[in-house]
Amino acid sequence: MITRNKLAVIAAVGLVWSSTSNVIFGETADDNSRGVSREEYNQLLKRSEQLEKQMQEVREKMAQPPAAPTGVPAATPTGAVTRAAFDGLKSQVEHLSTIAQTTFPGTNKFLIAGYGAAGFTDQEHGGDRLFEASFNPLLLWKLSDRLLFEGELEFELEENETSTALEQAHLAYLLNDYMTFDAGKFLNPMDAFVERYHMAWVNRLPDKPLAVYDGLLPESLVGAQVRGGIPIESAKLNYAVFVANAPALNTDTNDDPGTLTFENFDNGDRHFVNGGHVGLRLIPELEIGYGVMAGEVGPSGEPNVKAVLQSVDLSSVMDSRALSGLVRFNAQWVWSRVDPYAFGIDDFDNNRDGGYAQIAYRPTHLHQPLLSKLEPVFRYDVLNQMETPTGFDEQRNTLGLNYWLTSMTVFKAAYEWDNRDGDTDHNALLLQFATGF
Amino acid sequence: MRTQYFLMLSGLAMAAVLAVGCASTDNKIGAAGSAPDGSKLWAQNCMRCHNARPPDSYSDAQWEVALMHMRIRANLTAEEHHAILNYLQSDD
Repeated sequence: MITRNKLAVIAAVGLVWSSTSNVIFGETADDNSRGVSREEYNQLLKRSEQLEKQMQEVREKMAQPPAAPTGVPAATPTGAVTRAAFDGLKSQVEHLSTIAQTTFPGTNKFLIAGYGAAGFTDQEHGGDRLFEASFNPLLLWKLSDRLLFEGELEFELEENETSTALEQAHLAYLLNDYMTFDAGKFLNPMDAFVERYHMAWVNRLPDKPLAVYDGLLPESLVGAQVRGGIPIESAKLNYAVFVANAPALNTDTNDDPGTLTFENFDNGDRHFVNGGHVGLRLIPELEIGYGVMAGEVGPSGEPNVKAVLQSVDLSSVMDSRALSGLVRFNAQWVWSRVDPYAFGIDDFDNNRDGGYAQIAYRPTHLHQPLLSKLEPVFRYDVLNQMETPTGFDEQRNTLGLNYWLTSMTVFKAAYEWDNRDGDTDHNALLLQFATGF
Repeated sequence: MRTQYFLMLSGLAMAAVLAVGCASTDNKIGAAGSAPDGSKLWAQNCMRCHNARPPDSYSDAQWEVALMHMRIRANLTAEEHHAILNYLQSDD
């Protein structure tokens, strides 16, 4: 208010000064020796009256309440606020709110996302019978238009303790429209299930398929990758190429020899793996992919032991009007091939494979509120490792029913028929309540 | 034997999907030379893996961060990224 009044006074004085100076000094500069004619006198008088009138107007304006902000009509003399004034004010408040929101720390460059889940498992024949809970916050920092840091923690109840794990910590830089460089600890790009579907609110069943998760492929890698997508006519090619610390071959004959230890963060054997994944999407509804990683995995200083891990994956999402809903089909098969090694026990072929196929259907187009939130799911998964010291193959058929409370919160119930060749079956009832945020 | 069964099952499913997908009248990922449709790309890319998050669940600034994350994870091109972001920010 004070500033506004001061400006008005300064403007008025300036106006008078400039007008007067133009008249007085202008003429004085031209000729200050001659007298003033009657005509000139009348002009000066008229100008003076005009200035007095302008001064009076300025005074009146200063005496009035402050004008409404730009874009908002002034109040009526009776003080009533018009609809236009209200709308203008509302628009300004919304604009200011947006500005405040976008500049508030934590929303401009930083975002917490993630997921959490609570579950119950009841396995037959002496298997697990317990409640579980997990929490995975995902922390995202957009450091610039090209730079993003992503960190994910996992808090999980495990054997009477709360385990904490650094699931991801990597820094990505957008090199160009079709390529990103990424380094740190990132999800394994050659494992489609891990990269895309393992999150509790995305995975359609309470547990995860054999072989592709906590099985034959690492869930994350510590290294660097280059990845992106390239449009090819109406199709699209996705790719990722990486180098990372190698898994370590487990040579302990008392603890599942021949398996690969993926939590090999110190990389004591000083080996690296190279690999990548390509995915081809010929039509939006279907993508097929192939991934591979290879490298030495044996103890350092001993003859080379090489491992080759491969994966083929297929994903299809079809929004079918004929079926009044969404059909999701996913399948993946993985192979693990590890060179022979002198374990000191009987020789064996250290080759394993396995995978899963899953179909889910949700009648999203039905107008019946309850039915449109239900989603039946069926999955077949298998892990073959009979010829290794692990000593059994396993197949499971799992039938589940999901109820979606919101698009990101789901209650899952499933029954799993387990069949192990060479070990005890563990049929199971599985329940899970999961949400993404 | 199980591997053969698995591959046969997957092959049949893929053939069925291809048949339905190719019969669709709207089976282009992005029509060349035309401005990308953000809502269509959003449906094609996001719902491929998970249920789509409602546009109003994040502010414009939050969508910027989330979409940059998904650009990397889902291998989106810059054009797809910006089209989807514009759609979400205009619809939130």
